[in-house]
Amino acid sequence: MQLLLTAILLPPLLGAILAGIFGTIIGRVASHRVTVLGVLISFICSCIIFKNFILDHQSTQNIIAYTWGTSGAFQFNVGFLIDNLTATMLMVVTSVSLLVHVYSIGYMRGDAGYQRFFSYISLFTFAMLMLITANNFFQLFFGWEAVGLVSYLLIGFWFTREPANFGSLKAFIVNRVSDVGFILGIGGVITLFGTVDFLPVLAQAPKVAASLPTISLFAGTSWSIITVICILLFIGAMGKSAQMPLHIWLPESMEGPTPISALIHAATMVTAGVYMVARLSPLYELSASALTFILVIGATTALFTGILGVVQNDIKRVIAYSTLSQLGYMVAALGASAFAAGIFHLVTHAAFKALLFLAAGSVILALHHEQDMRKMGGLRRYLPLTYSCFLVGALALAAIPPFSGFYSKDAIIEAVHLSTIHGASYAYVALMIGVFVTALYIFRAFFMTFHGSCSANSASQDNIRENGWVIWLPLVILAIASITIGMIVKHADALQLALHAFTSLPFWLAIAGIVTAWFCYVIRPAIPAMLANKFSWLYYILIKKYGFDDFNQIVFVRGTRALAQLLYNYGDQRLIDDGLVNGSGRLIQWISATLKRLQTGYIYNYALAMIIGVLALVLWQMLIA
Amino acid sequence: MFNFTLILPELFVLCMVCVVMLVDLFVEQRQQVLTYALTQLTLVGAAILTLCIYCIPTTANFSGLTVHDHLGSVLKLAIYITSFFVFLYSRNYFRQQNMGKGEPYLLGLCSILGMMVLVSAHNFLTLYLGLELMSLPIYALTALQRDKEQALEAAIKYFILGALASALLLYGLSMIYGASGSLDITQVANVIGANSTQHPLIFVFGLVFVVAGLAFKIGLVPFHMWLPDVYTGAPNAATLFLAVAPKVAVIGMTIRLLVECLPGLQVQWQELLIVISVLSMILGNFVAIVQTNIKRMLAYSTIAHGGYILLGFIAGTAAGYSAALFYTLAYAIMSLGAFGIITLLSKQGFDVETIEDLQGLNDRNPWLAFMMMLLLFSMAGLPPTIGFFAKLSLIEALVSTHFVWLACIAMLVAVIGVYYYLRVIKVMYFDKPLDNKPFSLAWDAKMAITINGLAILYFGIFPGALITLCQQLFWSGTMLN
Amino acid sequence: MTLLQFIFYVFSALMLLSAVGTIISRNPVHGALFLVVCFVASAGIWLMLQAEFLGLVLVLVYVGAVMTLFLFVVMMLNLDKLPSRAGFKKYWPFGILILLLLVGLMIYVVAPSHLSLASNAIAIPHPADYSNVQALGAVIYTQYVYAFEIAAVILLVAIIAAISLAFHAFHQDTKRQNISKQVQTTAAERLRLVKNMGKE
Repeated sequence: MQLLLTAILLPPLLGAILAGIFGTIIGRVASHRVTVLGVLISFICSCIIFKNFILDHQSTQNIIAYTWGTSGAFQFNVGFLIDNLTATMLMVVTSVSLLVHVYSIGYMRGDAGYQRFFSYISLFTFAMLMLITANNFFQLFFGWEAVGLVSYLLIGFWFTREPANFGSLKAFIVNRVSDVGFILGIGGVITLFGTVDFLPVLAQAPKVAASLPTISLFAGTSWSIITVICILLFIGAMGKSAQMPLHIWLPESMEGPTPISALIHAATMVTAGVYMVARLSPLYELSASALTFILVIGATTALFTGILGVVQNDIKRVIAYSTLSQLGYMVAALGASAFAAGIFHLVTHAAFKALLFLAAGSVILALHHEQDMRKMGGLRRYLPLTYSCFLVGALALAAIPPFSGFYSKDAIIEAVHLSTIHGASYAYVALMIGVFVTALYIFRAFFMTFHGSCSANSASQDNIRENGWVIWLPLVILAIASITIGMIVKHADALQLALHAFTSLPFWLAIAGIVTAWFCYVIRPAIPAMLANKFSWLYYILIKKYGFDDFNQIVFVRGTRALAQLLYNYGDQRLIDDGLVNGSGRLIQWISATLKRLQTGYIYNYALAMIIGVLALVLWQMLIA
Repeated sequence: MFNFTLILPELFVLCMVCVVMLVDLFVEQRQQVLTYALTQLTLVGAAILTLCIYCIPTTANFSGLTVHDHLGSVLKLAIYITSFFVFLYSRNYFRQQNMGKGEPYLLGLCSILGMMVLVSAHNFLTLYLGLELMSLPIYALTALQRDKEQALEAAIKYFILGALASALLLYGLSMIYGASGSLDITQVANVIGANSTQHPLIFVFGLVFVVAGLAFKIGLVPFHMWLPDVYTGAPNAATLFLAVAPKVAVIGMTIRLLVECLPGLQVQWQELLIVISVLSMILGNFVAIVQTNIKRMLAYSTIAHGGYILLGFIAGTAAGYSAALFYTLAYAIMSLGAFGIITLLSKQGFDVETIEDLQGLNDRNPWLAFMMMLLLFSMAGLPPTIGFFAKLSLIEALVSTHFVWLACIAMLVAVIGVYYYLRVIKVMYFDKPLDNKPFSLAWDAKMAITINGLAILYFGIFPGALITLCQQLFWSGTMLN
Repeated sequence: MTLLQFIFYVFSALMLLSAVGTIISRNPVHGALFLVVCFVASAGIWLMLQAEFLGLVLVLVYVGAVMTLFLFVVMMLNLDKLPSRAGFKKYWPFGILILLLLVGLMIYVVAPSHLSLASNAIAIPHPADYSNVQALGAVIYTQYVYAFEIAAVILLVAIIAAISLAFHAFHQDTKRQNISKQVQTTAAERLRLVKNMGKE
């Protein structure tokens, strides 16, 4: 088993090193070959693990591969925890990663940073695999930070572009904010359980919780420690999985190359938070307050970020907001204790969202890096394959049976409906409206892009054609996956569920969304503009994204800057520069001047210093004795 | 009683000293290739012999004058390995800088023999003789570049102050001998341990002198003054030699004297070491900041590192001693690389002296610059290098024995220390080179420096084996008493 | 005070005074001679401690050989007087203070009250026919052979170091014997008869 895991983890790392360090030597083709080969090996081995665990129901394995260091009672291990959850995640990560690797060969062709790109995504795959195979918090944190780092590097991949730099910084900083929560959570786990390994923590959790440990965060209040830990850890997840109000970085992350958006910001990395909560589900089960918190955050994110998707004009941003919204669904599922449903949605979402992104990328590539949907339209004729793939993805996203998204989303909505914790009814309503909104925004994008009249000029229209096989093959594979995953998982009652859908509310809400989109963007394209005029205040709010960005910009960015300026003027300049630095500089000058008087270079001075030293020590010791 | 098997490595090195001497004298050779090869062969042979007898259980040998144990063997192996690299780095330097023919190798081997005697000494007599056998050739090595006044000055200072320190040490040992009636380390420990509540004043008196002598050899405040002058003045290769293996040997001697011989006076030497260690860490790190000469800067950093090593002894537990030993080995690898690079960069008639001489090293030889960066990171104690773990284990040992304030001071001055290491990195990477010529290395030197730099990284990521080895050396039962 | 004690104090005083003299005398020849006196005095003390062999060796080797060589060198270099040490006056009160403190501490520490005489009993005098040399030889080549050999190696190192420092390479104007040339001379080369061209 350990060998198998090594074969999963190391090839991407090796590929990253080869492409990264020796990229210029071995050339472009060799670079993508080694990285693709590395991920392919990972993928094959993941398949074996998937077969062993999911199909053959092997029992959970906890392997300690290497003890990195020991500090008191703590051991810093590199270890692996393999169970059904890990096996599923392995499958998702390696398969999407493999497809994105292949896709990138076409998408990144001709880019100056070709080798760098492949090195990064391979490194990302390695880090993500470390994250999901971890058996302890430290390794999880290592993977957590490593994927964050690579994500930062990839958002800013085109670092000469201003928005790319801004976006990467934003992603980095927002994630640091959430990391504070995560680190505090890990600290809490260590103090409460005395270990960082998952299995002992989860095993002890019920016993510890039974003793109702509390902590007084503010004077006079008393909090359940388990709740505090759960919420702190979830704050970490909120940053990584882009939940409100820490979601603001994800739309900006679209400045990175599209394959990255598909791999990192849709299918894998952003789901790390969901994965983490699912991994620790026994812990979360012990705290109803934490679950309520999660449920409300998730449902809010699912609805309100979805609404924002309706007013976006950049095709990638629409899908990005859709990602936010879908992540909200997953988190809401976790909050409703439907961990399996959450992970199920994670899997199906990985497939159809990667599909949507890659299809969008295909469009963008065909239009020579044009992302504004207002300049698209009527592409159905030129890109039939992309068109159909995007349609599959959109249908899956809108939860139309029998596409995969239907099964997972249906499970979530059912679970929230049945949930009895506080906030469940609010969440249920929010998710319901979310279904309508989802269908609306994705089909709006669909109609704007592929239907209507083509707004590109006729000369460039001739140039629009389908891309090579490295682009469309991953699309087709993902499309097939998007159609079938749901049915495969629910194989027994797939048909029954699909039929039952026709009598359920979510289905009709989705249909309503599609029809609305069709009506507003194909039949009467004037309606949206009119609505925007009429409800200009609402439109303004939406365009401003509820003011999160401005709020951050004004309060945090300007506030921090003002504070920084203040600190700079008074703290840095006066106190530190004048006082400490120059002061310590002066002090050091003085010290070294004094010491120079001793460090004369004369032997007898040195000898004298030694003798005085001995004398002082002897006198001191004699006086003590 | 007289087991010659156990001193085979020493005998082998001694024989090879004679062989090397005669070969160097009588065999005509171009550029001392044969002398060099034989010297390195001696080290390899000694290493093999030491490994062969490694598993023989701890025994006192030659009527208790010397001891064979794992601690001695491990230290000896460290000495061989580091010295092997030292000769490798210095080979060109010896040739180009007019440092005689085979003499540097010969003197080096003699010094190594002294270190071997020293680290396996089990009697004050052997201890002192080993120390002198180690030091004498180094004095000569420092002065070997006779046409350089600075080197001669450094040698004279080193020699006279070294003699003074030896006198202090000897005086202290004689006091302890006088009071305990024995020169044997175990017997002295037994005598002192017998009346552990009230020691005659004379023991404490002798102890202070012993500690002073040790502090001189490690280079600790206020007995450090020779160190910057000697490091700066000595030819780069001599600095390289005296900065690495002798440090390991002297720490070995410190373990023999304080841990094995005078555990009964732990309270007293703890107090002494605290003062010396704090002073050294503060002075070393602070004064290093204002240095412009890289060797001088590294010399002051050596003083600071010496202070850190003492922290392990101050903790006074097996964990502390093993942390100190681990730090010593880590420091040996680091200073080996740092001074090695300085030696490699020196060319005929040009010694790398100031930090500016490293300007733009990245443009001239990126790999060398990268290795130097790793080494400096490690000295600064940043992860994922070995220096991080070395500092971590020391701090841990301190905290577990409730010397939290001392750990805080150590951390604080370490942060100050980061500044001057980073300054060198900045100069290497961001400043324009004065001399644009690419700098290339011979394959053996390149490989050695690569191994050296990657060892920093390897032991930083996989420190387990080395840490466990150090810990095992101090498990009760492995020592003689 | 017994006679033995009296002799001891005389030798001790002599040794201390001559040691001080070695340090402060400005004439190197005087300094060397003071050192000779110091050695002789300490040899005397050794004799009283029944270490006859060591005492005699000290006189023979150090006084007889080493110091003689020293004197030769000093005289050959024709060092009349050492240049006056400028810092000496400035430092000596300080030096004296430190000296007094250290000596005071030493005396305090080795005072009978702290160094119990019981544990350092006076050794039983050896019989008259006791051979010091034999006893030394017996332990040097058995018990202390390891240390003894190391001492020998140190001497070897000293030789190597001294030669490598003093002798680097032949210069053109170095005067030296060429042994092989000397050996291969013929009778004809050895003696050259020169006719005396001058006055009778």
